[in-house]
Order: sequence, then C-alpha cells, then structure tokens
Amino acid sequence: MVERSHIKDSFKAAIPIMLGYVAIGIPCGILCAAVGLNALQVFLFSALFYSGAGQFMIPNMYLSGSPLASILASVSLVNTRQMLYAASFAPACQNISKPLAFFFAATVTDESFGVSTRKFEEGDWSVDRALMLNLFSQSSWTISNVVGALVSGLIDIPLQIAAFAMTSIFICLLVTQKMTDANVIAIVCAMLGVFACKSFGLSGPAILIGALIGVAVAFAYASIKAKGCPSGGGEALPSDQDGMRTSGKGETHPSNEGEVRP
Amino acid sequence: MSWEEFWITLIVCGLTMLACRVLPLFLLKGKDLPENLNRALGFIPPAAFAALVANDLLAPDMFVGGFWPAAAPLAATICVVVVALKTRSLLWSAVTGVAAYALLLLI
Repeated sequence: MVERSHIKDSFKAAIPIMLGYVAIGIPCGILCAAVGLNALQVFLFSALFYSGAGQFMIPNMYLSGSPLASILASVSLVNTRQMLYAASFAPACQNISKPLAFFFAATVTDESFGVSTRKFEEGDWSVDRALMLNLFSQSSWTISNVVGALVSGLIDIPLQIAAFAMTSIFICLLVTQKMTDANVIAIVCAMLGVFACKSFGLSGPAILIGALIGVAVAFAYASIKAKGCPSGGGEALPSDQDGMRTSGKGETHPSNEGEVRP
Repeated sequence: MSWEEFWITLIVCGLTMLACRVLPLFLLKGKDLPENLNRALGFIPPAAFAALVANDLLAPDMFVGGFWPAAAPLAATICVVVVALKTRSLLWSAVTGVAAYALLLLI
C-alpha cells in the first residue's frame, strides 16, 4: 500500500519540520525534566499527546504554581485550534479508509497542517503521504524531547531564538498563499482577531477565535461577491467564535453543527 | 510533578487533543459537503497561518519591555518574508529567520 516513492516524498517535505522540532524539542524536554518528569514520561507525552504548545505550557504553568485543573483547562483551550485543521482536511479525506483518516487526523500539528495543505494545493500529494509526513515529524519531536530530558543541565538552547524557526515556517506558509481579495481579508481579519483576543485577555483561544473571525469575514465577502449564491453570506457576522457555525447556517446539513464544539 | 499528576494531565490533555483533532474530520467525512461549507473551509489555511503568525509576533503589551525586544522579531520577519517570496522554501525561511533574529538580538 505504501510506495517507496511516497515515503521519499514525505521525508523530503518533512525535513523543515523535523529540523524545527529538534530545535524546540530539546528545550521542551529540558523544561519537562525541570518539573521532575523523567524520559519515559516525556516520551509518553510526545507519543500520545504530541503538542508543542501544550508540552511547553504544562511545565511552565506547573513551575509558576498553577493548580492542575487550570493547567488542564488552559492547555485544552489552546489546542481547540486543531478542530480547524481537521475540518479543513475533510474534503481531502472523503474517499479514504477510516483507520487511515483516523491516524492521519490524530497526528496533525500546526506545522504538518501547513505543509500538507500546501502540498495538497500543489497536487501530487495524498493522505498516506500526509500521514507519513506526520509520523516523521512526530518521531523527530519525540526523540528530541527524550534527548532533552536526558541531557538536561548539560546543554542550553536559547529557546526564544529556536522557536523563531516555527514562526518563520508559518510566515513562509502565509506569504506564499494565493493573495486573492478574499484571502487577504481572511488574513487581515484573523490577525486583528488574534490581537483583539489578546487585548481582552483571551490569549488561550486567540488562534482559534482569530482564525474563525478571518474565515467568517472572508466567507461573507466571497458570498456577497458571488451573488448567485442564495444563502449563507449575509448571516456570517464576524462577531465571535460562532463565526464558523454561523457561516454554515444557510444549509440545514446536520454535520455543520459539530464543527465548533465548546 | 508526581506520577499521579502526570497521568491525569496526559489522559485529560491527550483525550481533549484527540477529540479536537479527529472529531471534526469524522463529522464531515462521507457526507456531501455543501458548496457554502466548502468555500468556508477553503479560507481556513490563510486565516490559520495569519493567526499563528500574529500570535507569535503581536501582543498588546509587546513594547512594554522596551522597543527592541519586540521590534527585533518584526525586523527578522521582514527578512523571512523576502526569502519566502523568493524561494518558497520552508527550510530557507526557517534558517533565515533564526539567523536574522539571533543577529538582531546581538545588536
């Protein structure tokens, strides 16, 4: 089922992510060791939870004395943005088996979402390759974390600088988007939305809410522009995190309701 | 962090993460996606990348700690944008970003 050429495609596409994950995975492992997690625990976090932002937040909040319940709530809230990625990949996953779709969706991160999205747009990409890209990335993340936990105290990586590798990847993905009117509106509104969320103290769900605002406004714009479409556009007010659900309201399709979960 | 706290954290965070990652896909999978929904889904990538970049670079209180600590990543961003548009390469963008940011912090 898995062709050798697909493995090669996936590995090539995964290289920037894998290197970035080495750069931030080692500091993450070091940080986890600082709160008393051993290499096995760090491995389990990376293998079963697999969240860069989450695995930094947990030890950081623990060190600052946050109660466990607020750590769990904050981390879960930050990770709600993953719902967008899963929804976005739905069209590409229509005709694949359930196990493949499950393992693919379960191993998507910000970075692999970005790379696979771009690859699907360019063509010559498939869900099996996207899954392997996820697994290469996850392997790099997991190994780097365990190494970090094992060598903690021996080396020091300036995290602020290392983390900019990830920011740079997102910047590249952003500026190489097709700059249509509607996409530019989505971009500007999403950025404003994130800034507004942070201003109101909502930094946890800022990425999710900001992105939903961008999607909703761009959708409203595109719907008004394509006046032939009878429904949907006028209702998509960029008010809050309900944007995504609102944007689908012109349809009575039951599947829309599941998209934005509390 | 005790083993007990570890297990609670792993199970709760792992399950909420898995739900967020998998449920939306399976709710939409195997159904005819209406045209409107498809159009909305198409705006997720630009909006998500913009939100991720803004989340990393912008904050209401970013200049409180002085001008340069907040301006350095913005200046490094300009370098990354130039390289990204020229090469479209994620790898070169990441290398440029890290190098530019490190050099700018040395100033």
